[in-house]
Amino acid sequence: MSFVSVEHLQKNYASTAVFSDINCEIAKGEFVTLLGPSGCGKSTLLRCIAGLTSVNSGRILLDGHDLVPLTPQKRGIGMVFQSYALFPNMNVEQNVAFGLRMQKVNSDDSHKRVAEVLKLVELNEFANRYPHQMSGGQCQRVALARSLVTRPRLLLLDEPLSALDARIRKHLREQIRAIQRELGLTTIFVTHDQEEALTMSDRIFLMNQGRIVQSGDAETLYTAPVNVFAAGFIGNYNLLEAEDATRLMQRPINSRVAIRPEAIQLSLTGSLEGEVRSHSLLGNVIRYRVEARGVELVVDVLNRSASDLHPDGRRVTLTIEPSALCEVA
Amino acid sequence: MSRAETGPARLYHRTVVYVLFIILLLPLAGTLVYSLASSWSATILPSGFTFKWYVALWSDPRFLMAFGQSLLVCVGALILSIVLILPLLFVVHYHFPKLDALMNILILLPFAVPPVVSSVGLLQLYGSGPFAMVGTPWILIGCYFTVALPFMYRAITNNLQAINLRDLMDAAQLLGANTWQAAFLVVLPNLRKGLMVALLLSFSFLFGEFVFANLLVGTRYETLQVYLNNMRNSSGHFNSALVVSYFLFVLLLTWAANRLNKDKD
Repeated sequence: MSFVSVEHLQKNYASTAVFSDINCEIAKGEFVTLLGPSGCGKSTLLRCIAGLTSVNSGRILLDGHDLVPLTPQKRGIGMVFQSYALFPNMNVEQNVAFGLRMQKVNSDDSHKRVAEVLKLVELNEFANRYPHQMSGGQCQRVALARSLVTRPRLLLLDEPLSALDARIRKHLREQIRAIQRELGLTTIFVTHDQEEALTMSDRIFLMNQGRIVQSGDAETLYTAPVNVFAAGFIGNYNLLEAEDATRLMQRPINSRVAIRPEAIQLSLTGSLEGEVRSHSLLGNVIRYRVEARGVELVVDVLNRSASDLHPDGRRVTLTIEPSALCEVA
Repeated sequence: MSRAETGPARLYHRTVVYVLFIILLLPLAGTLVYSLASSWSATILPSGFTFKWYVALWSDPRFLMAFGQSLLVCVGALILSIVLILPLLFVVHYHFPKLDALMNILILLPFAVPPVVSSVGLLQLYGSGPFAMVGTPWILIGCYFTVALPFMYRAITNNLQAINLRDLMDAAQLLGANTWQAAFLVVLPNLRKGLMVALLLSFSFLFGEFVFANLLVGTRYETLQVYLNNMRNSSGHFNSALVVSYFLFVLLLTWAANRLNKDKD
């Protein structure tokens, strides 16, 4: 039986529906990500689970009990916010101990548990600092510690990394994942960043316009998008109309297809001729725009050495394996 | 001076600052000297210095009474505004953020009508009938409350916008705090700075308020400024001592409030 299950959840603001029939199941200890563009309802769903936003109908079961009638205080859910939401008037220790203070845990116990959890996020030396004396990454780790100290049954992360710079973001995302694994904590992570979603999650729910478009592990989502939206949102798929695809592959294709840019091979000896229109260096990858049979394709090639670079205008050939074509609705 | 400025420019900048300083301080300094002078009429410098005007002032029961009454009315109005404004701001910002625009307009109304005009209206309204309050300190407290509103509302709103109220409340509630605990333990301590600024500003303004005090209550409940007005025909030295005392009191209060506000960081 699943640990968290959301059943027919519906939420309206005034007369517009944010989502009308959300269903999902999450196993105990699983790390799932709600991925989607802004305004797709992912944050609202998270807030509904936390109890910070009311729902119109439907059930949210946690360990078999319906959460909907409970106040946020009674749900046993920890949450980390994009803005950290640390209490500026309290130092790190007081911030982390706040949840225990509300539960009236005695001060010895509280002290011990705060020290433990601060050690877990590697901030035990910062107990007496105030939030304004710390960097964004440190603040977010304090916020994480604060939500873990009460031993929540479910951890919610609302774009916790979006306000941080790239280097800290990568480091912190590994740290969050490691802590989550160590504690075996069921976690729901909200993000609009596909890279975060792909690297961190056991399972991803891809959302768009208040619906879950596709769910599955990173591999499935990346290699087998179910529709145009999924293909457009994850990776940098080439989306081709049926007639373009037919012309390109020179065999009848009767639906739209998506081709990953790294699934196309670029060489000088293949059969499908094309011409390099432009290229851009992404670092480890060079991204070419190649025109072949009147279709412009994005092709990613690993940047092995500078001498392999194809200048704009060069005639090249492409090889597209039939298996690289993914039919999308 | 860490900035290396060349001679003439630096001299010019300093001169401007000092001149401004002197222009602002000169009347006050003059008043101070006059209040300390035993007599000063046909000479360039006063003939002698004395504290007798201060002694006379601070031993005048009428002055002490007016001083206390001013204090009482101001503090009363400020307490009333805190008790009403804080919850109001909280509700507006937490539950009905859209109302903020409307509140910003409403809150300026006390300044839209000149005090002389609104006094006449207040006299009409509260001069008789079930709310006959003219001549009592109550009408002054109520009236000062409306005058303090814009100061309080603006200063605290700025503070509220700086602390991300919604996320703080949400975080506190998920950690088990009820709305009251969240408000008192998390939100209120973070509003201290804005609240202090608002209180000081309103207090200094209300303590020197004359028009409402004189028109609505007058000598029946004499406040400091009304007393000063009534004493205008007595010795100028005496009045100077009064002005300087009043100024020092506000200065002292500002300094004390700043000290109290300056711990932690």
